Amino acid sequence: MQKAFGKKSVIFMFLFPAFLIYTAFVIVSIVWAGYYSFFDWSGVGEKIFVGFKNYVELLTQDTVFRSTVWHTIVYTIINVAIQVFGGLLFAVLLSRIKRGRVALQTLYYIPVVISSVAICQIFTKLFSVTPIGIVNQILSFINPSFKFMEWISNPQISLYVTAFVEAYKYLGLYMVIFYAALIGVPDELGEAALIDGAAVWQEYLYVKIPYIKPVIIANCLLVLNGSLRSFEFSYLLTHGGPGNASELMTTYMYKQAFSSMKYGYGSAVAIMIVIICMVVGLLFRKFSGEGEDE
Amino acid sequence: MKNMRKMVSLVLTAAMTAGLMTGMGALTASADSERTKITALLKGTESTEQFQTFDYLLKNFCDEKGLDYEIELVNDMQDYFTKLQMYINSDTLPDIFGCPNGTLSAACKDIDALVDVGAELERNGYADKLNGAIRDFLTDADDGNLYLFPQGLYCEYFMYRKDIFEDAGITDAPTTWEEFEEDCQKIADLGEIPVIVGGSDAWQLMRYLSFSPWRVTGPEFIQGYQAGTDSFSENESAKYAVNLLSDLGTKGYFEPGFASVDFTSACNLFFGGTGAIFYTGSGQISLAEEMYDNGELGFFPVPDTEGMDNMATNVPIHAGFAEGFNKATYDDTMQEFFDYMCENFSDACYNQAHVFSPFNEDSLPEGLPQLYYDTQPMFEDAETAWTSWDDKLDSDVMTKIVDEQQKLAQGITTPDEFIETCDSFIK
Repeated sequence: MQKAFGKKSVIFMFLFPAFLIYTAFVIVSIVWAGYYSFFDWSGVGEKIFVGFKNYVELLTQDTVFRSTVWHTIVYTIINVAIQVFGGLLFAVLLSRIKRGRVALQTLYYIPVVISSVAICQIFTKLFSVTPIGIVNQILSFINPSFKFMEWISNPQISLYVTAFVEAYKYLGLYMVIFYAALIGVPDELGEAALIDGAAVWQEYLYVKIPYIKPVIIANCLLVLNGSLRSFEFSYLLTHGGPGNASELMTTYMYKQAFSSMKYGYGSAVAIMIVIICMVVGLLFRKFSGEGEDE
Repeated sequence: MKNMRKMVSLVLTAAMTAGLMTGMGALTASADSERTKITALLKGTESTEQFQTFDYLLKNFCDEKGLDYEIELVNDMQDYFTKLQMYINSDTLPDIFGCPNGTLSAACKDIDALVDVGAELERNGYADKLNGAIRDFLTDADDGNLYLFPQGLYCEYFMYRKDIFEDAGITDAPTTWEEFEEDCQKIADLGEIPVIVGGSDAWQLMRYLSFSPWRVTGPEFIQGYQAGTDSFSENESAKYAVNLLSDLGTKGYFEPGFASVDFTSACNLFFGGTGAIFYTGSGQISLAEEMYDNGELGFFPVPDTEGMDNMATNVPIHAGFAEGFNKATYDDTMQEFFDYMCENFSDACYNQAHVFSPFNEDSLPEGLPQLYYDTQPMFEDAETAWTSWDDKLDSDVMTKIVDEQQKLAQGITTPDEFIETCDSFIK
């Protein structure tokens, strides 16, 4: 068995189907989107070749697209902060307790297995203004004016609320990953630090967290990737609104392609998303020192 | 051993190829042989009117003829349009498909996929029975023919809570928008919510933008706007509508958080006892029935725009989503189904889908909720249909206006900014 896995042909046999499927569903799709982006096409009827016109319009005239790029960056920062650092904090706290740890772990993980649609529905009801939702009802005990506080329909905060809901859903996932990494840190390292006079917080800050740095970087990359491509929370909670207040690049692409029926322009937005994702991914790898071994 | 492996892989390849060939063969055979099934693509769920009507008609017809039928349902509007586009692009439309009168019906026409429903209605003698406003609503803008069959007859009106009106000292329902706003203020002064609106559903806010131009110009403003010959800044009725929507939104006449309330939630709010006025229609009779019968609700048509000439029709009438019949598969069986459908459509509308029939019957069937009988005189003789902006506007312009109208209603933009922005959409 071990001998077979050493053979190049066997490795190739295992890798080839995945490569084939990846190429068919990802690479080919990107190439097709790139092809369509050079056309003015409504999705039905004749395609008119327009060269780089869609890109020129997108980059020079489309102010909404520019705002969606900014929204996506803000959205990503919030998600990284809550999912990665919140998840890490929760994992640290979990690793410090013994009683009820499994119950808490399960509780925090529940949102991960609930579908995004259901999560959005729950938060729509929680943040509801008419009829008054639970959040406003509770806040009104502190200050009666909070009773009519708009969360989802307030253009000043709708983007942050949307980011928070996505972060809430996935926080448990990263918490579990960090927890697994933390309990994998050899005990003797922590013990040595404590013997040397380190406090508990110093043990985490200087020993355990640096030890799991590769996991933190991997999680950052995963959240970064997921947030840049995030679609469903903005679309389901706010439809990108009010106006374009919580519009992300992906919801904008969807609206252009499927609501405005501008498949060519929507494809140009899609290509820009791919480029932006690649650039951000590469920059992150460069600054985090990932990939230096390759 | 190597030969053995080769043999096995050859056998597997042969089996796969044979499987594919068999599948392809089956497809070809089904296309060539006599019809055994009627297929339909409809928007909605099993509880929506379009499904209930067609499920009832297809079931009865297919049982009689020994055929199968299959209805594919897509609930989300955008998903439905995407699916329909896929069918149009690949020219594989089902026998019957839901299709609005506009860009998509034009795309179907381009590939010659639509049966001339008007000609078919002439042939089977149902053309004269079709409601004039419904015919007007579905008439093709390019050639004046009728290619789509109505989903039903829908009329829209405002419903109001009689007790709140009484408490606010409002004796008569408003007949002009000025009166409407005055009444809203009186209701707001009582501490009640004047108007319930499903602001997250584009069409709800868009109605307030469309009322005035529709009453004053019919379809002219929106057609002119799309063609670039008219604009919000040049058309007084359009300007009036922009200010109206801004007023209603910013003066607090809509419910708090209206921009995140969808139409279903808005229905639940109003018919659950919140708010004084709600723009609704015949599609929600089943929800209004009990309160109306108890004398809690009244209704009034779209108010006049004061200081301008308003057309006589003041109740928006439309045909819902409408259905197209695939010309490529319209054989004798489908023609037989078409005749059967016309014959039984009113029955299906009133008894299954609970909507008005698009055919003018001598009298309404007995046993319907009272609202049917009381609202029917409003549209019985109507010849002018509602002008739906979704049908007339280019999808891109429509999407942009939807974003802008929400900003306008929330006071994020002023009426002047809205007018300037929307006029810039048409170059």
